[in-house]
Amino acid sequence: MLEIKNLKASINSKQILKGLNLSIMPGEVHAIMGPNGSGKSTLAHVLSGKNGYEVSGELNFKGENLNKIPVEVRAQKGLFLAFQYPLEIPGVNTNNFLKTSLNSVRKARGEKELDTLAFLKIVKEKSSELGIDEKILSRQLNVGFSGGEKKKNEILQMKILDPYFSILDETDSGLDIDALKIVAKGVNSSRSKQKSFLVITHYQRLLDYIKPDFVHVLSDGKIVKTGCGDLAQELEKTGYKKLN
Amino acid sequence: MEKFEIDFKQIDQIKKITPKEKNFRIKNLKLFKNVGFPSKKFEDWKFTDFRKIIDNNFNKLDTEKVTYDFKKTELIKNFDHNYIILVNGALHSSNFDFEEKNKIKINSYDNNINYNLSENPLICLNHALAENGYFLEVEEDYKFNKTLVIYNFFTNNIKDKILNNKNKIKINKNSEIHIIEYTINDSKFKFINNVYEDLVLEKNSKLKNLCIQNNRSEGFFHKYLKSNLSENSDYVNLIFSSGLRFNKLDIECDLIGKNCSCNILSALFLNKNEHQEIKTRINHLVSNCKSYQRVKKVLDSESKGIFQGKIYVKDNAQKTNAYQLSKALLLHEDAEFNSKPELEIYADDVKCSHGSTSGSLDEDSLYYLMTRGLSRKESTKLLVKGFLNDVVEFIKNPKIKEFVENKLEEQVNGHK
Repeated sequence: MLEIKNLKASINSKQILKGLNLSIMPGEVHAIMGPNGSGKSTLAHVLSGKNGYEVSGELNFKGENLNKIPVEVRAQKGLFLAFQYPLEIPGVNTNNFLKTSLNSVRKARGEKELDTLAFLKIVKEKSSELGIDEKILSRQLNVGFSGGEKKKNEILQMKILDPYFSILDETDSGLDIDALKIVAKGVNSSRSKQKSFLVITHYQRLLDYIKPDFVHVLSDGKIVKTGCGDLAQELEKTGYKKLN
Repeated sequence: MEKFEIDFKQIDQIKKITPKEKNFRIKNLKLFKNVGFPSKKFEDWKFTDFRKIIDNNFNKLDTEKVTYDFKKTELIKNFDHNYIILVNGALHSSNFDFEEKNKIKINSYDNNINYNLSENPLICLNHALAENGYFLEVEEDYKFNKTLVIYNFFTNNIKDKILNNKNKIKINKNSEIHIIEYTINDSKFKFINNVYEDLVLEKNSKLKNLCIQNNRSEGFFHKYLKSNLSENSDYVNLIFSSGLRFNKLDIECDLIGKNCSCNILSALFLNKNEHQEIKTRINHLVSNCKSYQRVKKVLDSESKGIFQGKIYVKDNAQKTNAYQLSKALLLHEDAEFNSKPELEIYADDVKCSHGSTSGSLDEDSLYYLMTRGLSRKESTKLLVKGFLNDVVEFIKNPKIKEFVENKLEEQVNGHK
């Protein structure tokens, strides 16, 4: 699904990622943990194609080199990033935005664009599956949403766009236990042989609900340790210091 | 000013005028001829050098009458409405089938005397030469059942003309009306439309006015709008004039009766090379009145947007509540936005606030939308529509709102 080789990334001539290697197979869930400033969010943004980074190394997604592919085309190819800090977009109705978004993804996949009715049917289905009040979708995109609502909205967007590969950038931060369960449900209900996830988190807590196949520790721009789910529990006890 | 010569004979040709009116016209023509078109040396025109704009866009100009061949225009089908059709500014026909006809008067406007002299050369020109226009009056205690659409149609044979029109709308006591001014432009050529409009809102009356364009226009529009608001009256002006080569809207509003309210809101999208100025002067002359201004502009390449807004509060206008906000979104480094907010306050117990911001699109917001599969262009459009949206939200009627949203969408997408 995703193959990262010797990925280096700098911003404003400061190097953040310093030769990162990671391979994620279809159906796998990988978790990335690591201290503040280790480059976790940079990895997420470099994968989704944000401008402003100087990137070298190889990024392969479903057998295709991503390096020169722009943000929106990556999304259309089935890459999704749930933001750590979802932006508030005043005046843009969430439903209209999502419909436009889903249709551009469908168009890229060669599928028929959906009319409003068909779209709303999907929205209803996905939001009730996750237990999210679909009313948030008739509001302006993230405007005045609580922290929890924003994160839930990210997960709902993920469910609706139905990507092959999803990156969750600290989606669990600041969530209460009920919202955390919704986030976990969003991931678990989508897990399949074709779908993969990269879950970036600070806390082992989320991984009680989303069982990862692999846990990686990112430190100073590199993966310094990889293990199975137990690694997260170990880190919870010992912290990151012992790794260095 | 050799491109544009008018002599006093043109005033002689105006039919049925009294000697008094003739004098008034001649006096105004002299005033205009003394100074010519306003240049940026005029304080009110400092951001709009009209003389230069005329020089750059016209090789000749005249004010001679045109005859036109107007059969009919396509009416809006999205909602039921009454209508007035203006052709090149002159009253052509009207239809008030949804209303009690004895409550409404509509005539060609021919009173051209009772005006103060102006320092604005274009108003002098209008006072000198205006012949056409309409006078709409709503009798007391009458609330319109349906919206009134004023179709403002321009024909294709007005190349290099200056059309001077004068209009008046009077809403009598306890009456209410909702007007949509809808400009349809058939002219592929450049022309100037110079309008003077009077608005009188009597006690407890309400007027909601909405301006919108159907298509892109080569017209150069100047309109001076003078309104008088009596006690408890409520005036709302929503402006969606996009797709115009040149537009200067000069709004002066006298709040002369207690508890009246004046609301001016605009959502404008300026395409390449377009020039739009909104100038307001809200005169709080008595106590307990409210004024609210929200002007939003989106500026694309080489366009120029201007907002000059003045709030004047007279010494006895205590408990005034005045608000003014101007926001510009610049999509291109060659776009220009000028803003000049002014407060002149002589009363001590008032609440006045104003603000002006301008900026470009937020890159992080664009990125967020693009991670959902939208191209940069689509994301930009969404953000632009979002930026203008809070003005659209002032429209309560869902069918009219949808109609305006569609028109705005066309404008943002580059117009027809």
